[in-house]
Amino acid sequence: MSGQPNTKDKRYKRSEEELVHYIADFLRENAYHVRFEVPNMGQSTDIVATKGRWVTSIEVKTSDWKRAMKQCRAHEAVADYVCIGIGNGKVPIALLDEARRAGYGVLHCAPGTHQCRWALKPRLNKKLWMPQRRKWSETFGAIDHEC
Amino acid sequence: MSVDHWMTFGTFAEQRHFIYPRADTYQGVVINGNMAAYAPAGMASFLLEKTPSLPYIIDPQTHAFQHKASAIQNRQGNVKVSIQKLAQAYGNPIKDLAGVHPVLPRTFAADETLGPFVKRCLEFQRNILRNAMLESDVAKYLDVEETDIPPYALVVPYFYMSEVTVEQWLPVCKKSAEMAITFAPHEKVFGAVVLSEGALLRDGIRAEIVTAFADLSLAGVLLWVDDFDEHEASSKALKGLLDLSRGLRNNGQKEVLNLHGGYFSVLAAGALGGASMTGVAHGPEFGESRAVVPVGGGIPISRYYIPHLHARIRYRDALSLLAEKNWLRSADVFHSKVCGCAECRATLAGDSANFTLFGDSVFREVRRRHGIVRIEYPTNETKLRCLRHYLQRKALEYEFTSSATVEEQRQDLDEGIAEFGEVAGIEGVSHLHIWKDVLTGVERQL
Repeated sequence: MSGQPNTKDKRYKRSEEELVHYIADFLRENAYHVRFEVPNMGQSTDIVATKGRWVTSIEVKTSDWKRAMKQCRAHEAVADYVCIGIGNGKVPIALLDEARRAGYGVLHCAPGTHQCRWALKPRLNKKLWMPQRRKWSETFGAIDHEC
Repeated sequence: MSVDHWMTFGTFAEQRHFIYPRADTYQGVVINGNMAAYAPAGMASFLLEKTPSLPYIIDPQTHAFQHKASAIQNRQGNVKVSIQKLAQAYGNPIKDLAGVHPVLPRTFAADETLGPFVKRCLEFQRNILRNAMLESDVAKYLDVEETDIPPYALVVPYFYMSEVTVEQWLPVCKKSAEMAITFAPHEKVFGAVVLSEGALLRDGIRAEIVTAFADLSLAGVLLWVDDFDEHEASSKALKGLLDLSRGLRNNGQKEVLNLHGGYFSVLAAGALGGASMTGVAHGPEFGESRAVVPVGGGIPISRYYIPHLHARIRYRDALSLLAEKNWLRSADVFHSKVCGCAECRATLAGDSANFTLFGDSVFREVRRRHGIVRIEYPTNETKLRCLRHYLQRKALEYEFTSSATVEEQRQDLDEGIAEFGEVAGIEGVSHLHIWKDVLTGVERQL
């Protein structure tokens, strides 16, 4: 007995920080550059993932996805794709419905296996406001992406 | 129907705003007693040099001594120097009790105790800044009448009343007022009603306060409801504010100045509210509501005042609303639909992309238990832009309310509801609905 919690156990309750890292690993495997905790107009975006010229913002929540939906509103001004990352056992239908309506993507990280998948792919955000995006690019450009 | 526009003095860094947007924007300045006690020379210089001939009222802040000692202590557990100076000016029983034990209604039970205290409190207000102005360096370059400036009114010592304590404090406040009137028969004397929202909500308490003040020959009353945010307040609470204020006006015989009010109070003071107040004060920063016991500040974030909503909201929310309305597509559209004030015109400088300057910030990395957290702070320029835009809009609101008809004021609220109802949601404009209903006497059935 090592005394260490078994993170492969489905009952193991992951912290938001752990979830962020599992999702970031998945994104890196899919050729994204990843930055954490990027400030955006007084909020902090959990993950900013870039691939080529496209920028994706991801709010990660272990359970409270409704709060994530609210936080994502500020990302609409700056990100090409807006996503929510969750770690629930199942992806709530209500989340999928609301995210679909808003055009947000949903990334699901399964408990136990920590395998991530797109439960819903995001649509290209049409609400982007370029002047704010340029400001934000300067902000996250000043933060090193993590390998 | 003119609405008196007062501003509360917060810090010396803010003094340049008292002549903004114009030198004659404000009818007066409310100065906290502890500030006057702590820095009389600085305050005198502010009044003489920065705001020539601006009337002033000193809020005696006597309530500071009724709270638990920690409310007036610094981190080291000593009474804050400015409060200590105020206590010294007020003498006993305040002087010996400050920071040791709160004063209680029974502290002032004897007229021999209350009388000298009231006298010293008035004396302090009458002379502290007047003497400092006469002794100031600039005095020698000015005529006597330019430097010998008494307060606009003397304020009766007052104490904060909750629904539980009003029974005990109201008689003390009333007795203080009676004494103050006899001690200052040739000066303007204002009473002060400082109460909790709980007390405001109770019909009986409001009636009791109005009755207590009605037969006193006070020239006016300062009104302050603890931590009362008009944007969040229920219609019942706003009706209570209106009812109390109307009662204190005593059929228009007395001035009523709301010490910390927003646009609802401005409307209440105008034709739509039937001149329920005569004036409204606010601070340059976060000053449309204020808690009686000071609370911590938190991290400052940029806020932009949306004129149609009559509300200062977070920059990111303002951006989201304005972008959704498609009002950021050009500077011309922005100025015609959102704001055409001098500050917005100067900031945008013909390019709506410059709206981002109202949200400019810098971030600092802070190490926390779980790693590095990046916290954003608005730049000084951002804070100044937001503040100057806010002050421009406030000046326009007071002017509009002073000159517009009832119908025009109602229409203005309707426009806010119509323009933002869709994008801000029903909750985002509910304060406008409530204000309109309360001010026009509409009762909702459900």
